[in-house]
Amino acid sequence: MNNNKSKRALLSGSALALMGAMLTPAVSSAADGETLIQEKCLLCHTQTGDPEAPFSRISQQRKTPEGWQMTINRMQRLNGLVISHEETQAVIKYLSDTQGLAPSETAPHRYVLEQKPNVVEDVDPAYAEMCARCHSNARFGLQRRTLGEWQLHVNTHMAINPTTELHALARDRSWYDIAYNDVAPKLATDYAFNDPAWANWQKMAKPDLTGSWSVAGFMPGKGDYSATLTVTETAKDNFSLTLQGHYVDGKKLQGSGSAKVFAGYEWRASLAVDGVKMRQVMAASEDGSAMTGRMYQSAHDEIGGEVTAVAGKAVVALSPAAIKQGQLQKITIIGSGLKGSVSLGDGVQVVKVLSRDADRVVVLARASATASVGLRNVAVGSAKANAQLAVYDAVASIQVTPNESIARVGGNGGKLPKVKSSYRALAFSAGKDGQPGTEDDMRLGYMPAQWSLQPFDEVAEHDKDLQFAGSIDSSGVFTPGDAGLNHERKFSTNNVGNLKVVAKVMDGDNAVESDAHLLVTVPTFIKRAIQ
Amino acid sequence: MKFSKMFKAAALLGAAGSVALLSGCAMNQSSALNGMKAGGHEYLLTVTRPNQLHVIDTETKQVLRSCDVPGTFGTGAVQPSPDGRTAYVLTNGAEDVYGFDITNCEITFSAKQSQNGEKVKTFISLAISGDGKELYTVQNPTRKLNDRYEVLAPRLAVFNTEDGMDAKSVRTFPVDRRITKIMTMENGEVILGGADIKAINPENGETRVLSALQSWARGADWIPPDAFAMFTQGEHVGEYIMPYFTIKWNGAPGDMEQAEFWWGMSRIDIATGEVDERETVPFEFIVFNWITDPADSNILYGAFNQLSKHDLSQNKTVAITDLDHTFYSINMDRDRTIYIGGTSSDISIHNPDTLEKIGSIQLSGDMSTSDLRIARLL
Repeated sequence: MNNNKSKRALLSGSALALMGAMLTPAVSSAADGETLIQEKCLLCHTQTGDPEAPFSRISQQRKTPEGWQMTINRMQRLNGLVISHEETQAVIKYLSDTQGLAPSETAPHRYVLEQKPNVVEDVDPAYAEMCARCHSNARFGLQRRTLGEWQLHVNTHMAINPTTELHALARDRSWYDIAYNDVAPKLATDYAFNDPAWANWQKMAKPDLTGSWSVAGFMPGKGDYSATLTVTETAKDNFSLTLQGHYVDGKKLQGSGSAKVFAGYEWRASLAVDGVKMRQVMAASEDGSAMTGRMYQSAHDEIGGEVTAVAGKAVVALSPAAIKQGQLQKITIIGSGLKGSVSLGDGVQVVKVLSRDADRVVVLARASATASVGLRNVAVGSAKANAQLAVYDAVASIQVTPNESIARVGGNGGKLPKVKSSYRALAFSAGKDGQPGTEDDMRLGYMPAQWSLQPFDEVAEHDKDLQFAGSIDSSGVFTPGDAGLNHERKFSTNNVGNLKVVAKVMDGDNAVESDAHLLVTVPTFIKRAIQ
Repeated sequence: MKFSKMFKAAALLGAAGSVALLSGCAMNQSSALNGMKAGGHEYLLTVTRPNQLHVIDTETKQVLRSCDVPGTFGTGAVQPSPDGRTAYVLTNGAEDVYGFDITNCEITFSAKQSQNGEKVKTFISLAISGDGKELYTVQNPTRKLNDRYEVLAPRLAVFNTEDGMDAKSVRTFPVDRRITKIMTMENGEVILGGADIKAINPENGETRVLSALQSWARGADWIPPDAFAMFTQGEHVGEYIMPYFTIKWNGAPGDMEQAEFWWGMSRIDIATGEVDERETVPFEFIVFNWITDPADSNILYGAFNQLSKHDLSQNKTVAITDLDHTFYSINMDRDRTIYIGGTSSDISIHNPDTLEKIGSIQLSGDMSTSDLRIARLL
């Protein structure tokens, strides 16, 4: 425990600016977390007398760090808990480490921890109307409780959100009885407190995350980037970090900050990248060879993209990841410490190495007109890549990702900012059967596209959604309209809208088009760590 | 939503043109109370945020007075007394009831329902006995223990209005969960609007089913209806009306090609207890409420984004007009003038024959989910 150090860190202006919600440097050991629970929580909760589950209600649940953070927030808001920020961090850390979730338990729902927008969940019908009409599946899928705890959780809903049973899809059934007697027992089975996954994970040695990582990622409006992430431990499970690299257009990327690890693998970093506050939410692989997740703007969590970090020297990704037969093209090979000759596989010649940096090698490559269609292994010196280069004959189809999306009006003097949405065009060639949309299609990766909007249907056209709901820029970022009533609109409605986002990818003279669905809707007035 | 049909209806309405305002109040206006016209003169009652009860003269369309309601805004449920003098308002997060003398804003009654460690919520359920002596609420209690919540059974609570300030319930009887709109019948029973519509005798708690909705026995060709009402009205014709939505499959359940989507209603005559339960019109757009035309019980008016007029004898929507914005509640005075309120801060006034907007009343705050009730001051 190092109180002085943490105070110094807090007082330093730049460090203060970097602090995320759960990133205050360690102020407590595990024992402190337990002591704090006894001091703060046992004013209401009780000792059970069971050393395996000592505290009423607390010891019968397991959650992610964000889940425990929400619990503490609720106790402060509704139940008079008085607890400092540093104490909160210590309790979250202690509970996440001792009553957390195993990597396999969080794997199905990491998107919600990563604040990834526009994920369409496939929800068990037993939960779809009973739970997921308000919550994401991830909200309850990232909790583990005993049967008694799930049932008490139903009661909490009835007490603090008493109109729950009056909502559409609740008032037409005996909601409370079904929730308590049918759904809670199913939750206790599907999301069981005593899942052996957690016991096994607790026994395992946890990965060492210090050192140098090769990073590849994407940021809306900026594109692909490459970087080297350098991680130094400052206290147990607390790290300082630097991120240095390039966007694919050659602009430099520079960042630094701090990170904390929960349950041995949950990486949460807060950093400033080129002056913009960012968050990283990643999961370390069990063997510590990689971390994957998402990096996003702290103030606009919808503006972010996937990030992959591979330990040590490696080729992590290619940008672009495809080359057309007979084409001359610049390709950026993303990875750290890439030395030696570059090989892009049969039929693809490295015409020239344009530049080499610590985080990437940029080459000019030519695919011969007769190069066979298919994937090529890439190597730089002795560093071989998992990423493969696709040689293709033609772009046969594209998919706009995300296919279903939401943006939210905001600003206009209100307290809530606009929530944007961003799109990419994922290209495919037709494969051997010559037919796009079949199983043998070859994924070519993301390609630059021209972006436009259309009304989604006849109603949207009549209501002039296109005129009011917002606009999309050349990089595929949609900015919604202003919040508030608009008297120029039918019913004086908000600048909501139902739109198609249309991408056009040029393959030579041939245009390939596709579209995705965008609903521009009202703000979310309550923002939770886990929606 | 059937888009083309809405266009057609709007065009028809535009052709109908305007119609002169209807004549004034027909009742004896000679008497007065604290300077307010009495003798059955009608006043609109509604609540706005942050928490004011407004008394509006239906003749002048002016706000006569605004009374500060204690506590935070609840749902804005309002129940006028039979003599029109008192407006009972549900407030403080839908927990407390205050009675206001609408002639001077004086608070003459209060009941804090959360007592004895219970947190009691009332989901708009307010009703009053025909003689004005008993106030009824449906209470939904929970109890907070040291580290957990307990969910208790809902109950009808009976208050003596003469108990005045800090009244306590004098009787309680168990009722179903999920009850919203309640209303007293002339025989003294209280209609309980929940999944099924029941009537309870507030003397002894005896309950009977008036209209089986969730538990109706129509077989697999119909889905059990989604019945819900957030707003009480119907006092202008002496009826309780609960809209519902249902689907008739006409074949395999889930086959949307064959399915018919229907609005329906359970309409109860509070004088006779007679129940009129039937499908009304095809589900083509949303309404939040219906009211019946006093001149023709086959004519209903509905409101939400549109004001609509429906003819039950034909199962048809006969006229529709777009509103300036979304509204939730609708009511009608004895001159058949339509008032549409809730949601925002203006009450929209309409001619029932043309649906044309003929006026507007601007209030000091948003009505949100508030009732729009008619008090007839005797």
